[in-house]
Amino acid sequence: MSMSWPEFWIVLVCCGLTILVCRVVPLFVLKGRALPDGVQHALGLIPPAAFAALVANDLLTPGMFDAGLWPAGAPLVAALVVVVVARLTKSLLWCAVAGVVAYAVLLAL
Amino acid sequence: MLGYVAIGLPCGILCSSIGLNGIQVLLLSYLFYSGAGQFMLPNMYLAGGPLASIIASISFVNTRQMLYAASFAPYCEKASKLLSFFFAATVTDESFGVSIKEFEAGRWSVDRALFVNLFSQSSWAWANFAGVLIGNAIGVPLAIASFAMTSIFICLMVTQRLSAENVVAMVAAMVGVFVCKLVGLTGPAILIGAVVGVVAALVFSRVAPKPQGPLPERTTVVKAGEGQ
Repeated sequence: MSMSWPEFWIVLVCCGLTILVCRVVPLFVLKGRALPDGVQHALGLIPPAAFAALVANDLLTPGMFDAGLWPAGAPLVAALVVVVVARLTKSLLWCAVAGVVAYAVLLAL
Repeated sequence: MLGYVAIGLPCGILCSSIGLNGIQVLLLSYLFYSGAGQFMLPNMYLAGGPLASIIASISFVNTRQMLYAASFAPYCEKASKLLSFFFAATVTDESFGVSIKEFEAGRWSVDRALFVNLFSQSSWAWANFAGVLIGNAIGVPLAIASFAMTSIFICLMVTQRLSAENVVAMVAAMVGVFVCKLVGLTGPAILIGAVVGVVAALVFSRVAPKPQGPLPERTTVVKAGEGQ
């Protein structure tokens, strides 16, 4: 599966514009005033919710255990390894390395 | 700056797994410039999400940039509009952390902050470019590449401040995604799940007794490269 140039341009232009607006507009509109508390509060909740949604989307599928607990459980066990590494190191790189190694080892078992 | 290289390389490798070439990752890195966004793109594309869902989800995650812009506003009042624009347009999670500390300490100016931003951006962009070359050369298996992305999202999730409110947001988002998939809404599952998470946490913070400080502080927002 490979992304075409037209698809690429659509994503680049749309995402590029929305992030530019988010980055620049508050600077000129607020002129030093703080964001309303409610807005600040909601924006602060987006990262934990969004990253959890991404994780769940990768790890959970209805009926994933229909064919038995293993190898369907391998990604979940590898994910637990990553959780531990993340809490210990707080490093994206180490998490990626640990996750890939744990996943590869568990699949080879 | 090493952090940008260390994480730019895998990002480039993953982007090459959906067939993006060096020019495309450079364009993404210079014009879009978002670590989380540039990981979400190959992840969601591989998962077969429709473009509209991919764009909406990435944009939703990036709204946190408004928090950064708002907190820089007082320090940009004396600088020229153009300088402020370019500075604000190149802020990321990591450079926000550095610059806000220096601004608060009063030993920072917008042009120096912009310089740091541009330097970080170039490190990120060329690390991504090198990642694509590596990815094309070694042909990383898709299952491995996609689990690397999952691992990065797990790291970003569990390094958030684990306040009761944030945990409610996480659990509700995960349940939301699962339910979406259960009823066949696979495409927009991530976006819907994330919105469900935010709403659940807002409701929770209304209902639950507040032990201390009512608002999360700015400094607790995600810093994607923290600790590298």
